[in-house]
Amino acid sequence: MTISSCLVTWLLFCFSNWAIFTMFNLVYPWETVIKAAMRKYPNPMNPNVVGVDVLDRNLDTDGRLHSHRLLSTEWGLPGIVRILGTGHTRTYVKEHSIVDPEEKKMELYSTNITLTNLVSVDERLVYRPHPDNPEVTVLTQEAIITVKGVSLSSYLEGMMALRMSANARKGWDAIEWIIQNSERENVPLCELY
Amino acid sequence: MLIVLKMNSVGEDCTDLKREYDQCFNRWFAEKFLKEDRSGDPCTEMFKKYQHCVQKAIKEKNIPIDGVEFMGPNKEKPDS
Repeated sequence: MTISSCLVTWLLFCFSNWAIFTMFNLVYPWETVIKAAMRKYPNPMNPNVVGVDVLDRNLDTDGRLHSHRLLSTEWGLPGIVRILGTGHTRTYVKEHSIVDPEEKKMELYSTNITLTNLVSVDERLVYRPHPDNPEVTVLTQEAIITVKGVSLSSYLEGMMALRMSANARKGWDAIEWIIQNSERENVPLCELY
Repeated sequence: MLIVLKMNSVGEDCTDLKREYDQCFNRWFAEKFLKEDRSGDPCTEMFKKYQHCVQKAIKEKNIPIDGVEFMGPNKEKPDS
């Protein structure tokens, strides 16, 4: 390989982008799902989330509720951490959610605010009632992962993309767990803690 | 048997304030907001106390909450 083709290959590895799109149907009405989504943590599917705080909350002029939250996550990935050359395993994520009770739509945007020089993980989730069945809620989830500044092999990037799609499934399982646990104990979601 | 799990705050000292506020909010959210009841938010005072604690913890831990937005320019996204 010539020097210029090596450079191009390196640049391609450095600035690669992965986009993952998933869609789930959950057999619960939208309100039930939203109540669970707003109190998603803690749950056994996301043990990495160790802290959640609301930074700001307000109603806009259209009656939609905006919430800005900070999540702290602890990753047991010592191997990856060593490769990336950082000693930190605590990472932080910012979330912005918008709930429209009239249109029955909840959007959630999340982005990492640490390790941004190494990787970007941006997610957009939308919860809406199924157009044909009000007892079902549809979640669409898009994730865009950008690896930058590090020459990770395409294998590692693929593993990260696979992990993201596995996490998308876990996110839905988490909502279902929250709903089922409150139902089993006959405790309304708002009273759970 | 249901094990009631509770979430911590990012600032360890703020956890009790957080849980108190969350309980208030979750009740308002389910019983008022989702039913499009526009009567006042009963959690404002609680939120102020909780926020004061959280903002202090964020400063102490140097958590970079400002300047990074979803798909924002600071993320240095390459042109796709």
